[in-house]
Amino acid sequence: MKGRSPSFGGHLRRPVALLWMAAALLVGVLLSVMVGSVDIDPREVARALLGIRAVPDDPAVTIVRQIRLPRAILAGMVGACLALAGLGFQAISRNPLADPAVLGVSSGASFGVLIAMLLGLTGPFANPVVVTLFAFAGALLAAVSVYAIAQVDGRLPATTLLLSGVIIGLFFTSCVMLFTTLLASAELQGVVLWLMGSLGPTGGRTLAVLGLVLAIGFGVLSRQAARLNLLALGEEQALQLGVEAERVKRVVFVAASLITGAAISVAGSIGFVGLIVPHAARLLLGPDHRGLVPAAGLLGGAFLILADLVARTVAAPTELPVGVITSFCGAPLFIYLLRSRRGGEAS
Amino acid sequence: MVWRWIPGLGLCLCLGVASARAATIPDMLGRPVTIPDGSLRLVSLSPSLTEIVYSLGREDWLVGVTDFCDYPPAARAKPRVGGTMTPDLERMLQVRPSLVLATAEGNPRDLVGHLTRVGVPVFAVKPEGYAGILDSIRVLGRALQAQAAAAALVRAMDAQEARIRRAVAGRPRPRVLYLVWSDPWIAAGPASFIHDLLRIAGGENVVQARSVPYPRVSLEEVIARAPEVVLVASHLDTMVRPSTIVRDGLWQGVPAVRSNRVVPVPGDTIHRFGPRVVEGLEHLARAIHPGAFGLAEAVGQAAMR
Repeated sequence: MKGRSPSFGGHLRRPVALLWMAAALLVGVLLSVMVGSVDIDPREVARALLGIRAVPDDPAVTIVRQIRLPRAILAGMVGACLALAGLGFQAISRNPLADPAVLGVSSGASFGVLIAMLLGLTGPFANPVVVTLFAFAGALLAAVSVYAIAQVDGRLPATTLLLSGVIIGLFFTSCVMLFTTLLASAELQGVVLWLMGSLGPTGGRTLAVLGLVLAIGFGVLSRQAARLNLLALGEEQALQLGVEAERVKRVVFVAASLITGAAISVAGSIGFVGLIVPHAARLLLGPDHRGLVPAAGLLGGAFLILADLVARTVAAPTELPVGVITSFCGAPLFIYLLRSRRGGEAS
Repeated sequence: MVWRWIPGLGLCLCLGVASARAATIPDMLGRPVTIPDGSLRLVSLSPSLTEIVYSLGREDWLVGVTDFCDYPPAARAKPRVGGTMTPDLERMLQVRPSLVLATAEGNPRDLVGHLTRVGVPVFAVKPEGYAGILDSIRVLGRALQAQAAAAALVRAMDAQEARIRRAVAGRPRPRVLYLVWSDPWIAAGPASFIHDLLRIAGGENVVQARSVPYPRVSLEEVIARAPEVVLVASHLDTMVRPSTIVRDGLWQGVPAVRSNRVVPVPGDTIHRFGPRVVEGLEHLARAIHPGAFGLAEAVGQAAMR
């Protein structure tokens, strides 16, 4: 049992699958470091990355090391955050359609960031921790509201969960629109770009804060993975097996809101990553959360890095919002899951 | 013991040499910017900055412009580094700029941080009102070692402004509505810099104080404020056609429509915070006070309609 997915035979062995996913992540990073709006010879990219025979003022070195590499790392971490958040929300709601965007948690986080902007706490020299905390507060507020509204006799039926997610999401989106109309035009354009979801240039401090939050979220979900497996059996059974369902749910809930907030505060609202990636991970590995947590992190990172690569290149020199690409991948899957009974009962 | 001081002395000498080779000039955001001496490799991130660089005679230093830099026409031939709000950092770095010129209002706010981080100094201008444009030309003159050219340019602009002020002096100030966009109607408000230009051109902006410089205006408000002149900005490729306003039944209650004083004005000269703004000012003055500039011009103005 240990180290293997317990149920289906068709799934890959966990270490093999995780290795493949890590390889996909690495390939994603390498590809996105190679490709950009300026053509740089692959050998020169390699030299710039490894710091070999670098000419001090060579723009290629700056472009590769200070623009492309941080962007790939950012995309990877944001993707991992969103995928882990989706996995967490799906596990505690026992609903495969849960995801930070669907549940309105992303809108709540956006609203938190906008409040921070209005208070003048954002900008080039702002402290990323403060912005992350505002996004976290907004995400938590939205998530708590959705769960409070959706609960029927202590359970979370799919319909009420999705409906209350839509309601809360629209409410916070309206709050965002209300405040954006009050902003001056130069600020507004930045906000609009950020709201569409963008993986622009990011400073080292912001990346460090995001990495720290991702590590916390990953740690919490890993610790709770075995309990989430029991929770999947149903709360009563989980209770019989000694799992305090409410406590587990609360912990995962807060962790998922935190990583959602961190991702939104740097990259804006990028939809469907939290929905698609956990499903792909389950298809490959089966329902054991001990494997799903690292898988969601790796796959989420690889997926967003590749989506960003497509967004940057498909309509070059114009850069598409990366959320467009993730939505084009995610919307059909969402429809499929909603229509198929089996999808509704899995997880 | 003397040898102990030699490294320190050497350091002092080096610093002394370094500071002699580079000037530190505060930009309009109040940030000290160290600008290397000698010829620069400039990237301009707005059409107005590009126009200023050309008027200061520093076009040879310009190695990168935005997709919107179309004046003077020669600027179109310079390498492009993306849009004003979406500049492409990779292409910007590829032209190896030694100084990037940006505006506080027209470029992304976090751009300064990104460029500073990768070691490219950014010099930002922040023109406020008509006088602010002249300030930004003077400040750029210092930064680009073209103080004499900047002073001459400002003098010429001052002279043209004085001529316009004289022409409209003593005339009654018509109530003016300046439209920058249709559907929804967006007008220049008191917090905008066009408000300033309208005042110099002898008009009175009808739009009331708002939190945003370019507020939406309702037709109800337009009718209530009863503008005697409606100016319609043509800019980029989009243009609100005055004829659509004149024919629109809902606008018939507006005095400017009834007296057929809905006038197109060239947005590129009026909206760019560059040397041509004084031309824009003259366009505005002629549109508001056609009688002040002699008959020939008034006829020309009517023909433009």
